[in-house]
Amino acid sequence: MAKIVVLGAGIAGHTTSTYLRKWLGKKHEVIVVSPNSKYQWVPSNIWVGVGRMKPEEVYFDLEPKYKKWGIDFKQAKATSIYPEGGSGHEKPFVKIEYVGQGKAGETEEVEYDFLVNATGPQLRFDKTEGLGPQNGNTVSVCSFDHAAHAWAELQKSIKKMEAGEKQDIVIGIGHPGATCQGAAFEYVLNVYHEIDRRGLSDLANITYITNEYEVGDFAMGGAYIKYGGYITPTKVFTESFFAEREILWIKRAGVYKVEKDKIHYENLKGEYKEIHYDFAMLIPAFSGPGIKAFDKQGEDITPKLFKPNGFMVVDADYTKKPYEEWKASDWPEVVQNPDYKNIFAPGIAFAPPHTISKPFTTPNGTTIVPAPPRTGMPSGVMGKIVAQNIRDVIKGKATLDKLKHKASMAKMGAACIVSAGYGMTNGMAATMTVFPIVQNWEKYPEFGRSLTYTMGEPGLAGHWLKWFMHYMFLHKAKGYPFWWLLPE
Amino acid sequence: MASNKSYLTRITRGYTDFSYAPIPTKFTRFMRRCIIWQAWRWIVLNIKILRIVAFGHS
Repeated sequence: MAKIVVLGAGIAGHTTSTYLRKWLGKKHEVIVVSPNSKYQWVPSNIWVGVGRMKPEEVYFDLEPKYKKWGIDFKQAKATSIYPEGGSGHEKPFVKIEYVGQGKAGETEEVEYDFLVNATGPQLRFDKTEGLGPQNGNTVSVCSFDHAAHAWAELQKSIKKMEAGEKQDIVIGIGHPGATCQGAAFEYVLNVYHEIDRRGLSDLANITYITNEYEVGDFAMGGAYIKYGGYITPTKVFTESFFAEREILWIKRAGVYKVEKDKIHYENLKGEYKEIHYDFAMLIPAFSGPGIKAFDKQGEDITPKLFKPNGFMVVDADYTKKPYEEWKASDWPEVVQNPDYKNIFAPGIAFAPPHTISKPFTTPNGTTIVPAPPRTGMPSGVMGKIVAQNIRDVIKGKATLDKLKHKASMAKMGAACIVSAGYGMTNGMAATMTVFPIVQNWEKYPEFGRSLTYTMGEPGLAGHWLKWFMHYMFLHKAKGYPFWWLLPE
Repeated sequence: MASNKSYLTRITRGYTDFSYAPIPTKFTRFMRRCIIWQAWRWIVLNIKILRIVAFGHS
């Protein structure tokens, strides 16, 4: 009998645990540890943030589902990992602290044969002074409750515009090293759409602020696409979206402080600037959840499992080297910890070997570069191959030293549907696909990616796709009939 | 689409990034919402995305 503990119930963790439950017999145990009691389909939070969906349309309760499927759910957060056992345990174990289920504050030591760390990101609003919806001045769309709050705040600005008052709206990235430019881009287009359809766009001065070198970088070094008879960088595609809507943009900006009505940022020239706002949504920096690790003797071995940013060390090449020497082979294939091979980290939880975009440093020493994105599609794919590999090891079809299923971000593609309006006949979205996510200059020496499968296309079809995906992926996550036939 | 913000005209934004961005023509904007064309594109996009998912892992 094998015991698999999955930390996290987001896209990666939920995918791993549901496939493992489907493939493994009841004699094997699947345990999910997550501080969140709900599964949320994060991409639809944008629609919550502009009032097009209610929060309850993008989430569902995990515990009843897991109970029905035979997955043991513990609403708790992991605090430390003991990959060699110890403290009276022969087997490795993870220490957890409950945050719900009527046991808040209680701790437990959960033994495992396989550990899947799919904890996702910690939203580090604290890394930028004055940022965030709780202790700061800005809103966020990173979770359904944040998005609902963003919509409440946006309505206040809309009301002021309806009364004839001009509003400065700033949307973008709230830290020099933050990622998720796709979400910020999507939100600014949706906010524009909501303002424009009310006939108020003349009163809104909308600005997109980003740490990208050029807009359209999307934290993956931009991409080349066939567009209008040319092969053009996504910069052109993205700038066109902004210019068409009269949205201004500030690029190469590292936001370091937010006051009640001012955003302070440093640009790549090392100049310190500020911009006024009435409504601002800025994405924070991400980090891992800060789990510690100890060996059998109780010695701290956290650096063996985690990088200083809290993300897990996996089978990547972490050798420090200049941008020009980065290779596709630097990226992990099986997201497995090299020292403790029964530990995996799919999705946002793994530490990338480096960024995808080229880092730049200001004369004042601030590095301005987006962290690599790990969106829903790669997270789901990684979650699935981790489940496949664990299943194969349990069934004796593979060993931990030779895993069969691989999913490197330098070999897989991703689709990102950027909604820019809502409605079955007048909706709009930019459908963007990249293949692979990380440029593979050895395989595609001219443009780093396949031009057949890297594309960007605005249109109503994108809105239908996004809408369809919302229902399809929630169908899959809820385990409704034939869920396993649906792709990640 | 908004087009009458006086402070954002091509002239006032001349020689900035904003003024060098391409703007879609009326025909392009029509095609983006043409149901028949978009239904076809929906099929094409679905096939492309499914192939990307299929190639993405082994």
